[in-house]
Amino acid sequence: MTALALIFTLSAIGISETMYLIRKRVALEQPLCPIGKDCAVVLSSRYSKIFLIPNDLLGLFAYIILSIISAFLVVEVGPQGFWKVFLIIMIIAMSLVSFFFTYLQWRVIRAWCFWCLMSASTIWLMLVILLVSKNI
Amino acid sequence: MNRTSFHVLRVGLAITFLWIGILILKNPGAWGGFIAPWAMKLMPAPVEQMMVATAWLDIIIGALLLFDVLVWLGAILAAGHLVMVLVVSGINDVTVRDIAILAGSLALFAESIPAFIRDKFVPPRIKI
Repeated sequence: MTALALIFTLSAIGISETMYLIRKRVALEQPLCPIGKDCAVVLSSRYSKIFLIPNDLLGLFAYIILSIISAFLVVEVGPQGFWKVFLIIMIIAMSLVSFFFTYLQWRVIRAWCFWCLMSASTIWLMLVILLVSKNI
Repeated sequence: MNRTSFHVLRVGLAITFLWIGILILKNPGAWGGFIAPWAMKLMPAPVEQMMVATAWLDIIIGALLLFDVLVWLGAILAAGHLVMVLVVSGINDVTVRDIAILAGSLALFAESIPAFIRDKFVPPRIKI
């Protein structure tokens, strides 16, 4: 229950973060870059989309699904075993994708984006919670 | 209010309302225990149904705040809801938290109130 509360909270933070990036992208504005000044370089690079879908939109979708699954597990809706496995697979997959994007920033784009790193940290924190929690 | 403070308060309140909504959905009957007996008599529907409706209201408020859509509406609904909670649950150990959430909701409303509402209630400043 505590682990689910934390995963839900982190998903909600991820939703607000990706919503901010989506709003800025749609408005053709540059997002604030609280640390460093390379956010725009990363967010406008060719790696900012996967199969023509912007990463912020994919992130929003993933965070919404995570928060809904966490809620289902708390309220005990539907097949609990399936939701647990789905949640674990999603967090592991998102962590791996975040590793890949962080590597891209480090070695390929050679610029750091505050929002991308914050999103990656949010997901890795979920992975840590998953690993240390004995029971979801 | 500084924009960063506004967003921190918005997301914090959103998570609070969403999570409370989920917890109420998990066990609506138990949450109904917080309602004072006099308020229970005034309810138009069974307490469990009323609590489920409350949970969905909390989730809607949380979603409006989290997605940064009609924040003023979410904030005023949150404040109204909190006033109702304070009235029907009376003074107890968690009242102090409700007051803090109410204050936060009012602060968010004051910051996000749209011009068409503000102009109706607040007279324009007189230029000297």
